[in-house]
Amino acid sequence: MSLLTGPMRHHLDGHKDLTLTKPVLKTIDPDVVWIPLTNGNAPCKAVVNIGDEVKIGTKIAERNDRFFLPLFSPVSGTVTAIEKFMTSGMTQAEHLRIQNDHKNTTVRAFEPFDYEKASWEEVLDFVKNAGMLGLGGAGFPTYVKYLKPENVDLFIVNAVECEPYLTADYKNIEENISLLKTGTLALFKLSKAAKGCVAIKEDKVDQIAALKETFAGTPIEVRTVPNLYPMGWERTLVFQLTGKRYGMLPIEAGCILNNASTAIALGNAIDNGMPITHKYVTVSGDAIKNPQNVLVPIGTKAHEIIDACGGFVENMEDVLLVAGGPMMGKAIPNDQFVIAPQNNGLTVLKNIKNEEVKCLRCGRCTETCPSGLQPVRINFAQKRMDLEELETLSVNDCIECGMCTYICPSKIEVTEGVRRAKRFLRAKAAPGGKK
Amino acid sequence: MKYTYKPSPNYRQKQSTISIMRDLTVCLLSIVLFATVYNAIRYGFATGMRVILMTAAAVITALVTEAAYFKVTGAKDIVTEVRHSFGWVTAIIMVLITRLDVSIYAIVISTVICIIFGKLVFGGFGQNIFNPAAFGEAIIMNSFAASKAANITADVYSGATPMTAMNSYGWVMENSVFEEFIQQFGGLGNMMIGNYPTVIGASCAILIIICGAYMMWKKDIDWHLTVTYILSIFCISLVVGLIHGEGLWFAIFNLITGGVLFCGIFMMTDPVTTPITIPGRMIFAFGAAALTLIIRWKANLPDGALYSVLLMNMLTPAIDKMIKGNQIKEAKQIRNEVIIAGVVCTLVAILVGAFLEGKTPVVASSSAPASALSSEDFSSTNVSCTDQGNGVYACSAKGFEGVNEATVTIENGAVKSIEVTAFNDTPGVGDMATAEGELARYAGATTSSAIDSTSGASFTSTSLRAMVYEALTMAGE
Repeated sequence: MSLLTGPMRHHLDGHKDLTLTKPVLKTIDPDVVWIPLTNGNAPCKAVVNIGDEVKIGTKIAERNDRFFLPLFSPVSGTVTAIEKFMTSGMTQAEHLRIQNDHKNTTVRAFEPFDYEKASWEEVLDFVKNAGMLGLGGAGFPTYVKYLKPENVDLFIVNAVECEPYLTADYKNIEENISLLKTGTLALFKLSKAAKGCVAIKEDKVDQIAALKETFAGTPIEVRTVPNLYPMGWERTLVFQLTGKRYGMLPIEAGCILNNASTAIALGNAIDNGMPITHKYVTVSGDAIKNPQNVLVPIGTKAHEIIDACGGFVENMEDVLLVAGGPMMGKAIPNDQFVIAPQNNGLTVLKNIKNEEVKCLRCGRCTETCPSGLQPVRINFAQKRMDLEELETLSVNDCIECGMCTYICPSKIEVTEGVRRAKRFLRAKAAPGGKK
Repeated sequence: MKYTYKPSPNYRQKQSTISIMRDLTVCLLSIVLFATVYNAIRYGFATGMRVILMTAAAVITALVTEAAYFKVTGAKDIVTEVRHSFGWVTAIIMVLITRLDVSIYAIVISTVICIIFGKLVFGGFGQNIFNPAAFGEAIIMNSFAASKAANITADVYSGATPMTAMNSYGWVMENSVFEEFIQQFGGLGNMMIGNYPTVIGASCAILIIICGAYMMWKKDIDWHLTVTYILSIFCISLVVGLIHGEGLWFAIFNLITGGVLFCGIFMMTDPVTTPITIPGRMIFAFGAAALTLIIRWKANLPDGALYSVLLMNMLTPAIDKMIKGNQIKEAKQIRNEVIIAGVVCTLVAILVGAFLEGKTPVVASSSAPASALSSEDFSSTNVSCTDQGNGVYACSAKGFEGVNEATVTIENGAVKSIEVTAFNDTPGVGDMATAEGELARYAGATTSSAIDSTSGASFTSTSLRAMVYEALTMAGE
């Protein structure tokens, strides 16, 4: 942010009041769950066979390539099939079908663990074997970030939740603040950081007070950030808190970040010996009848959650069903996808047609781009197939936060144009691609 | 239930290009309204209505031209195309930066040319290189300078505009002279509220600033460009003023007269023809500010704002090319580019300003003692008159540059009235002598009368006196 680059962020109307004060619906117990056997773009291998009995907490699959990540059963019942269909990330993946027996028999996945007495290596091993992954949306195995924590100044728990409509992290913290404390302190130890903090938006006054009380007497500070988008993005948050920019990874600026939900999940694993089995999911938007947060087993199908929230508002024939918040979440063309660990919202919106006008080169996308890019010029260069110009525009620094499309007064799909430019550059760079 | 796929994000802000253009149109119409009321009060209802007439002519021409163009090029939905082309904005701005005495046919032709060749041939809205309104006004200035609606000229633009009057002084004058000079426009305060002759829409500084502030608040226009431009103009002229020992008035006068405020708020903020990035816009503003003042001070043009817009429009693609890559990673280089551009432009303009030389307005002032018409020598004016009967004489005499013509009516050996039928001296200078009030001074004159020259317009005055004397002499024979 500076005089010359523009604000590089923007206040969005969050609509968070739709769900913020409502209780969390916890009664959803589907007859069948489908566990996506995928993490990032890598497949996970099932370690149970069809016909096996599983309990809540039974290890059912693992990723074992560059990274290691175990997956656990969120319900008790029988493994009945493996089928391939579309995930919430709009890729095809195999899903493990588990028939729920509704008995909720539980097996303790881990032995009781005292992170305070344990060595640093033991804590890292625990995080790795507990299947912790970035629950803010990335789904990246958590332990990888902590493999070489050198010269870390600041450990940050990200409770910013800047996507409009979403309040799942807020509700999760509200209900599990002591688990947050355990998980945060364990991760803080792992980070070897000089200081630690929980970052939260300044308008969440009640929760800020609760957090301050919880973390009183610990090295963890509570730090507030302005109510802007994309304040929860690593780079924007690190810059807000430290004034530093970095090249590839936040550790270059001396920071390690994790989402608050991830810290809570780790707290749950440490205190209760349970892995990630359930997820707080915000169901909101202007086309859902009863917007609220739900706590559902991983692998619950979207349509069951929508039905539990009263379905759509009346006379609704055409909706956008977005997995996540409306800015970065993808609109999925069916309701058969399931909740994966990294999902935190279902936003159901009326499909309103925008009146698109020609670009007037107003540059608003350039001023608000958190990566400092010029989306409008990337779009023009992409249309002209101007490889030379595209290569000067740092196209691959784009994180597809959606700000350029949001801000565009001409209602152009600017972000999609940048995606096309990325694909174009990839195709040209690929071996055999025409240069 | 239908689940539609759309690429993310699926969230839009409320502001739209259409709402931006609506706000802009409202602001422009408020200025049209001001100009209408002002001219109606000052020069009569018909003159006020002329503002509306010119605006309507330009807007209708723009809409019809665009509709015809889209029809010819085979657009499917002509109404939507015209709605999304925003031609009326161009038309209104063009009228507001033109003079009230431009004839309707000149307005219509210029609108057609600027809409087609200034905008549509480039690919329409969003693609044009030049600000179409400035393009249109440049056509009026260069092609229709002589085309004046005759009945308006004498009434409204009798006196000089502050720009032309200041030009005749070479821009530099004693502070005490300025105080006297500015009184002909009612002082700087009077100029702020727009009570002086200039182009139709650029007079009321306060109204223009209010419109600008409103649009900046609504985020319809980017403040960086306007503020940089206005501050640059102010700072450069303040320094130049100090070099010449002028007071603060020099900077304020340079800021509020001519098209600076109007251009800065309504024309340079046209995003289509200005750079995309904030640093690019600041470079644009530095360049435009320097050019405005250099053209104004040194060139033989009434004002520089218009041409500075057009010249900088040409550089816009080059400026955009300078700002590349990731603005966070390139921050240092971009900052240096902006600083270099700012320093160079400011220094060049200050240097040009430092060598300004004050002049005394071309010829004698009214304080020179006048002698009787009969004792003056009019031989150099080649004056001639034709008797048209009933005491009416059609006369012609050479003025400063060209030959002026007038109809002189004589009754009982004295002048009854004089009406200028053709004026060919310097517009904005010589025509001070042909103002209604000035001409009234000839009534009752005889060959022994002494008539003062109009200050700053003595050649034209001399040609008038020559015609009056010649007519009186013929009537006496």
